[in-house]
Amino acid sequence: MPDRAEPPRAGIASSPMRARGWRDLAFAGAPLVVLAAIAPALYGNQLLLFNFVTFLALAQGLNVIYGFTGYLPFGYVGFFGAGAYGFAITVMDFHLGPGAGMAVAAAASVVLGMILSPLLRLSGAYFAIASLAAAQALYDIVSNPALDDVTKGPYGVSLSSVFAPDLSYNVAVGIFAFATLLVIWLRNARFGLALRAMRDDPVSAAMAGFPIVRGRTIAWLLSALIAGLAGGAYAWHISVFYPETAFDISFSIFAVVFTLFGGAATLLGPVCGVVLLYGLYNAIGITVPQYFQLIYGLLIMALVLFLPDGLASLLTRRGIRVP
Amino acid sequence: MSRDAAPILEVTALVKRFGGFRALDGVSLSLHPGEVLGLVGPNGSGKTTCINVISGLYRPDGGSIHFAGHDIGGLASHALARLGINRTFQSPHCFLSLTVAENVAVAAAYGNGGEAADSDRVLAELDLARLADRPAGELNSAEQKRLDLARALATGPKLLLVDELAAGLNPTELGAMAERLRALAAGGMALLVVEHLMGFIDKVTDRVIVMNAGREIFEGRLAEATRDPTVVQVFLGRRHGG
Amino acid sequence: MLQQAIVSGLVFGLYFTLVGLGLNLIFGVMRIVNIAHGDFLMLGGYAAYWLFTLFGMSPFLAAVLVLVVFLAVGWPLYYLIVPRLQLARDAEMLSLILFFGLSQVIEALATIAFGTTEHSIPGRVLGIGPFGLLGAMLPKAWGVSALVSAIAVGAVALYLYRTRLGTLTRAVMVNRDEALASGIDTNRVSAIAFGIGIALAGLAGVFAPFMLGSMTPSMGVDVNLAAFAVIVVGSLGNPLGTALGGMIYGVSLLLMQTYLSSWANLLPNLMLILVLLVWPTGILGREVRRA
Repeated sequence: MPDRAEPPRAGIASSPMRARGWRDLAFAGAPLVVLAAIAPALYGNQLLLFNFVTFLALAQGLNVIYGFTGYLPFGYVGFFGAGAYGFAITVMDFHLGPGAGMAVAAAASVVLGMILSPLLRLSGAYFAIASLAAAQALYDIVSNPALDDVTKGPYGVSLSSVFAPDLSYNVAVGIFAFATLLVIWLRNARFGLALRAMRDDPVSAAMAGFPIVRGRTIAWLLSALIAGLAGGAYAWHISVFYPETAFDISFSIFAVVFTLFGGAATLLGPVCGVVLLYGLYNAIGITVPQYFQLIYGLLIMALVLFLPDGLASLLTRRGIRVP
Repeated sequence: MSRDAAPILEVTALVKRFGGFRALDGVSLSLHPGEVLGLVGPNGSGKTTCINVISGLYRPDGGSIHFAGHDIGGLASHALARLGINRTFQSPHCFLSLTVAENVAVAAAYGNGGEAADSDRVLAELDLARLADRPAGELNSAEQKRLDLARALATGPKLLLVDELAAGLNPTELGAMAERLRALAAGGMALLVVEHLMGFIDKVTDRVIVMNAGREIFEGRLAEATRDPTVVQVFLGRRHGG
Repeated sequence: MLQQAIVSGLVFGLYFTLVGLGLNLIFGVMRIVNIAHGDFLMLGGYAAYWLFTLFGMSPFLAAVLVLVVFLAVGWPLYYLIVPRLQLARDAEMLSLILFFGLSQVIEALATIAFGTTEHSIPGRVLGIGPFGLLGAMLPKAWGVSALVSAIAVGAVALYLYRTRLGTLTRAVMVNRDEALASGIDTNRVSAIAFGIGIALAGLAGVFAPFMLGSMTPSMGVDVNLAAFAVIVVGSLGNPLGTALGGMIYGVSLLLMQTYLSSWANLLPNLMLILVLLVWPTGILGREVRRA
């Protein structure tokens, strides 16, 4: 298709890149989403599948901010928890339906993202730690017995009135589809390219005309939105949970590890990370999670020392493009 | 050279402080389209700070900067890039994980407010076309310097600030770079060049400003500067002494 | 009540100085964020617990033992990990991730070894009953822990400012490349600082059961956030600024616990975020922001 709407403005957002985007969608993104959608027909443990889809969405959501901008939010779970509790409060305190709950989940995470966006002024490690502190602070607020009337404090929430496992599963698949589209777009549009340029050198990216503050804020809010939606769907699907489940730091840790392991800033890297590592996690068994913690701890160390760009770099190093 | 036209850049009494230190202490200069102005002076005299303030990296603490009639003091770098100001860096700031072509593409896509920029032509002119698909991180330092310049040029600047582009280039590369900058000026671009190599300055500039301790101590042709007693004492004197 | 809160806050803060000190030393010298710091502290705590429970060993003796062993572990650990890391383009970020992995390994091993139940050492081991200080009454264990912290802070200050190796260490802190260029064996200096940093974490751990309550293998995350709050307030990379950060932290925490107890948990995290955003260089500090 010739670029009529957008004159030669960008030698890059043009046909070859766009064609690549469609190819990624057709041969990688779409099949994955379809597989996630039909999986319950092939395998009986819906809760396990739901967890897989949730981690796929979270890993891609983290990929949006970490892979493309280099900001690593250890407190990513904060958005997930905000979404879960946004959903719960809407259903529990305002007696509205799950649709409204999901809308509030989305809004809560985006608002939280806006409140925390000044953290993006911090560089690497400080940002990572400050975001973790923010997630912990949010957990402390939500779980505070003083807020019993609103959040049920540490005693947990029950949302059995809206329980709908099939529908909420499909919503989670929809969120994964959204995250997948977003990553494909970032990988093949000039906005994603500019974000990666900013990751390498913010000063020079600004000099190239890219509004870096706006750019990184957009990426941050999109990433927050995905986690918030995933949190809302999680609340809906599991229906009974506690603050320490919704704000479990493991969500952050897993999302980080899966993304790093597979290869950030690719579409398939985080997917491979989730499938292999979360598969391993379930194979080892949740009854002894320490063994898995030990394995992924060692894995992280090995990755940083020997393969900092993840599995995908084994191929990209040889000049093979990974979608 | 259109000396009679209005200047494209007009800097008046520019001040930049770092804590108590006045890195720029009332610098004024003006630059016309097609003109190449050299900025020379000993280390720490404020040359690079001057470029950093004009390019929006630092906010000015006093004075004014006008570009093509607009007051641009304190604008963000990306806005300046879109207005037509760009720069190279003393140590090249390339996007190391992006390919050479992508480096230029980002600037072409965002830097020129919708006007067409021909990335391929820029790459070819700077002798980078054959490296187009290589990651910038694999280039040697001379190639990275050219890429830094290519990134700046891809935004289609009307004013180019050049910070020590010549350092580290071999004599052949130096000559080529000097010709390149002259050609850009001949095309109507205004250039502000910071450089230590006097031979390069002599070849490239129409006029120089000599700076010391954040102030301007001389303005005129380089040949005259070398006969100015203050300049000799502050700048050349120190060089011989050192 | 105010006086009680402030005095006990200062004493508590002295202990938190020790909690942050090792983290800040390592950061200052290597620009590395040891996010496993809290886990080394936890290990120090468990060491004290087992030495006390199995052999009835006094925490003071345990402290000496922990210092020696942790120094002996930390030193070679540096050579195993850090020089390799510093070759990378984004060493600071990679180090964060790597030490995060290490913290997971330590936590997992500790859980496997000690289980998830809480462990504690009775406070009377460090002396029975409260004591009066400047009009406030404090548990003896607090006084002893604070005293040990003060000695440790003093020893680190002496090391940095009164020994040859300490002078070299400060040179590396100011500018690693120049230190290397002027012939300083930066690796050796850093390895020792790294060992000392780990040993200080262990030492803080020995007194953790008395100051932080009972221990679990997963206490590292909270300890880390508190330690970061302390060193960020005091200014990153400046080990002596840690003392100031510790005091401010301790007093604020105790004031919160006195007047707003149900929200006291929020303090370290909010403090960390606010200081990073509002006062990013800390009180004596260095630039941590970009753009």
